[in-house]
Amino acid sequence: MLNLPRWQTIVIIAITVLSGLFALPNVLPNSVLEVLPHWYSQSRIGLGLDLRGGAHFLLEADLRSVLTERLTNLSDSVRGELRKQQVPFKDVTVEPGRALVVTLRDEAQRTKAIEAIRVVDPTLAMSGAGDTIRVAYSDQELFRRKKEVIDQSIEILRRRVDETGTLEPTITRQGDERILLQVPGIKDTTDLKRKINQTAKLTFHLVNEDVAAAGANIPATLPPSTFLVPTREGMLDLRRSNPKAWEDIQAANPRLSPEQVCRRYQPQCLPVLKRVVVGGEDLDDSKATFDQQQGSRPIISFTFNTAGGRAFCAATRANIGKRLAIQLDGEIISAPVVQGAICGGSGIITGSFTPQQTQEQALLLRSGALPATLTIIQESTVGADLGADAIRAGTVAAIVGTVLVALVMFVAYGPVFGGFANLAMLVNLLLVFAGMSILGASLTLPGMAGLVLTVGMAVDSNVLIYERVREEKALGRSAFSSIATGYERAMSAIIDANLTTLIAAVLLFGFGSGPIRGFATTLSLGLLTSMFSSTIFTRMLLSVWVRWRRPTELLI
Amino acid sequence: MWKPVHLFAFKKKFDFLGQRKAALILSTLINIVSILGVVFVGLNFGIDFKGGIAIQARAKQGVAQLDTLRSIVGGLGVGEVSLQEFGEASTVLIRVQRQDGSPQCVAGAQRVMQKRAGAGWQVKPGPAGTGDVELTSPAALDGAGWRDAASRVGLTIVERQLPRGTTAMAKIDMTPEQRAEWCQQVAIKLVEDAIGNNYELRGTESVGPKIGDELMTSGIWAVLATMAAIVVYVWFRYEWQFGVGALIAMLHDVISTLGIFVLLQLDFSLTALAAVLTIAGYSINDTVVIFDRVRENMRRYKKLGLVELLNLSINETLSRTLMTSGTVFVAVSALVLFGGPVLYSFSVAMLWGVIVGTYSSVWVACAGLVYLGLRADQLRPADEEKTDKAKP
Repeated sequence: MLNLPRWQTIVIIAITVLSGLFALPNVLPNSVLEVLPHWYSQSRIGLGLDLRGGAHFLLEADLRSVLTERLTNLSDSVRGELRKQQVPFKDVTVEPGRALVVTLRDEAQRTKAIEAIRVVDPTLAMSGAGDTIRVAYSDQELFRRKKEVIDQSIEILRRRVDETGTLEPTITRQGDERILLQVPGIKDTTDLKRKINQTAKLTFHLVNEDVAAAGANIPATLPPSTFLVPTREGMLDLRRSNPKAWEDIQAANPRLSPEQVCRRYQPQCLPVLKRVVVGGEDLDDSKATFDQQQGSRPIISFTFNTAGGRAFCAATRANIGKRLAIQLDGEIISAPVVQGAICGGSGIITGSFTPQQTQEQALLLRSGALPATLTIIQESTVGADLGADAIRAGTVAAIVGTVLVALVMFVAYGPVFGGFANLAMLVNLLLVFAGMSILGASLTLPGMAGLVLTVGMAVDSNVLIYERVREEKALGRSAFSSIATGYERAMSAIIDANLTTLIAAVLLFGFGSGPIRGFATTLSLGLLTSMFSSTIFTRMLLSVWVRWRRPTELLI
Repeated sequence: MWKPVHLFAFKKKFDFLGQRKAALILSTLINIVSILGVVFVGLNFGIDFKGGIAIQARAKQGVAQLDTLRSIVGGLGVGEVSLQEFGEASTVLIRVQRQDGSPQCVAGAQRVMQKRAGAGWQVKPGPAGTGDVELTSPAALDGAGWRDAASRVGLTIVERQLPRGTTAMAKIDMTPEQRAEWCQQVAIKLVEDAIGNNYELRGTESVGPKIGDELMTSGIWAVLATMAAIVVYVWFRYEWQFGVGALIAMLHDVISTLGIFVLLQLDFSLTALAAVLTIAGYSINDTVVIFDRVRENMRRYKKLGLVELLNLSINETLSRTLMTSGTVFVAVSALVLFGGPVLYSFSVAMLWGVIVGTYSSVWVACAGLVYLGLRADQLRPADEEKTDKAKP
């Protein structure tokens, strides 16, 4: 039991050294980190917002209202189609957040009515009997739309919150209808809260082809009906080639108009007519899809509500061959050429796109469409100095706790056995830090409490072993044999004791959120790694020590 | 070099279970009082579970004037308010009850608007049964103007709810639930405006009604699931009497910890729940150490009576029971003394958990085995085989 094969010793030492290497980036100064490879220097433990300071918002999207709005738009289209196909109906009503109910005048027309509704949207699910037809989105479609609304809200948040590019917000989905927004280091949240519900401004404008045909990117004079708007590519180029200018544009107060940006910084721009053809509030949906006819090219399809569809139809019919610029927040994201009149409320944008580009364009379009209302349902703001106080308190508690526990172990089990247990405790801390670095976990204040608790619990395994060794020694066993038997006999109690606490820690991880998860992380990692450091690691130390000193009597 | 000190080596063998009747009465009493306390006095739930607002404020000069603050914040019309010194004399924790979206909150929103955007502003509740709010500005505003006004006030007004043309009135449609969440924000602004001149706001936490209810439900489930999982584990590893004994000891520890929260009126927050779960897990630690030895001795001394056997096992494991609890006790003491005000409830609860966990291992779990009628000859055959092989 105590005679470890050489390879085991090597593996144990290797694990210890590796954990040291993984924990190392956390304490290295930045100047050293810059030289090291990225994947290595990046694996560090982040600080939770409660230690670092910052703001944390849990937002809930009002999907029901969005759905009701979409259904209202759908009811307009259904009415129009039924009229066109000459199906007499009494009424089309919206059940908020759920479905449409179509009431027919004549039961016999049911099949014809269903066909007419299918023309509007073939994916709709229809049920009901007699003269009523209940029209709802299929589960699949509903799921897709909900996901889209959340994605759209996240995209808007990302654009809004990080306008200046100096914050590093983390924006993640939480469950079906929630978004978690975390902004480290922010002091005043008033501005941030204002941005949460600001929509992106999406408008469609015709390009003034006469001005564009003249060739100059920035013409000296423009007709009064026309203004200049930078293109998205142009702005991306500017950001790459002249980051300073880009920052100035973002920081300008009051904000620069698109035309001012064009004149001052001269990115690629387009002259467009001021008149808005149709606005984002009339855009119902937009998605990336594939052209069925032409060898499944990636395309972007979009749908307007009735009012938007009518305006779009009129504008496209009169301007075939001209470009239609789509402006989002003062940038032209795309300017496709009008191929023909687009009536009936839906159309497509074609071009030489990759599937990824169409995804991005569709998302940009959607982010200008009607968004879901976001309500702050949980908020936590921690000032930087409050976080610093917490770090100080946690660190002092951790150091004092560790030193006290180490003292107790030294006194109770002497320099050799106590020393080995304390060394194992330090190795355990190293392993926890390494584990957290690899997992990319964040350290929170409760997490620090978990570390302190781990320190106290990790030496418990050594206590159990050493007490057993004392007992075996009292029974008259040799030094070698008492150590070996002590380890063997203490194992089952060690495993039981650690596993029961681990069960609690793991369930806490599943249930908890934020700082509490930090506690569950350090505690469960600490318990797991202590099974290595307190038993396997100390056994190796003792086996080396026993062979080296060959003690006749154990001082324990 | 020094010699190890056998800290808990007692020459005398204690008759622990001789006192089992007295312990039974004491434990029952503690638990009944704890349950009565939880039911009739109630846990001091933090905003995590109850919903509400907690603001940590520090006086810009001198110490925090609790009485003055209490009357200022109490007069804001935001419902129940409680204040306590937090860590140091200059810092105060202001807690405001969760907001229910009442018309009073709309009146509060008007005060925020008037203070931050100008005297002419009015905020009125919409029709009863809805959560609607009507904003009236002193002058007609266009979309950008509305957005600007809203931003100066810092209330999240949804842009699409603002009027499209130039008007002096905007109707914001909300459900009553949404208005309750919105009112949380209004209440934060009210407190900020009222004390912002003399106090620095160091941290704000707000939990809306919805999240509070959800956390409460999932917290209860987490405690139940943890206890069930631990019992199943012990039941698989030991005879059923051990499982039941461990379960009773764990319930004893968890319930009496809740009692401590009531007695000291400690803040029962998410961190406190973490303490309760950890105590449930840790409660078993000492118990299994003793049970392990009981099982071993049952095989060794088949003729010994149960009480003698249990006493022998407890005495044999006494030093390790006290040492393992002692190291955790020392570590947790450091948390109590230096961990700061945020961790205080957690640390005190853990400290209690360590003490009561040790007590219950002996006088609840082991005493329970006596009452459950464990017999030395009822080891499972499989266990017998295992011991034979393990013997050197």
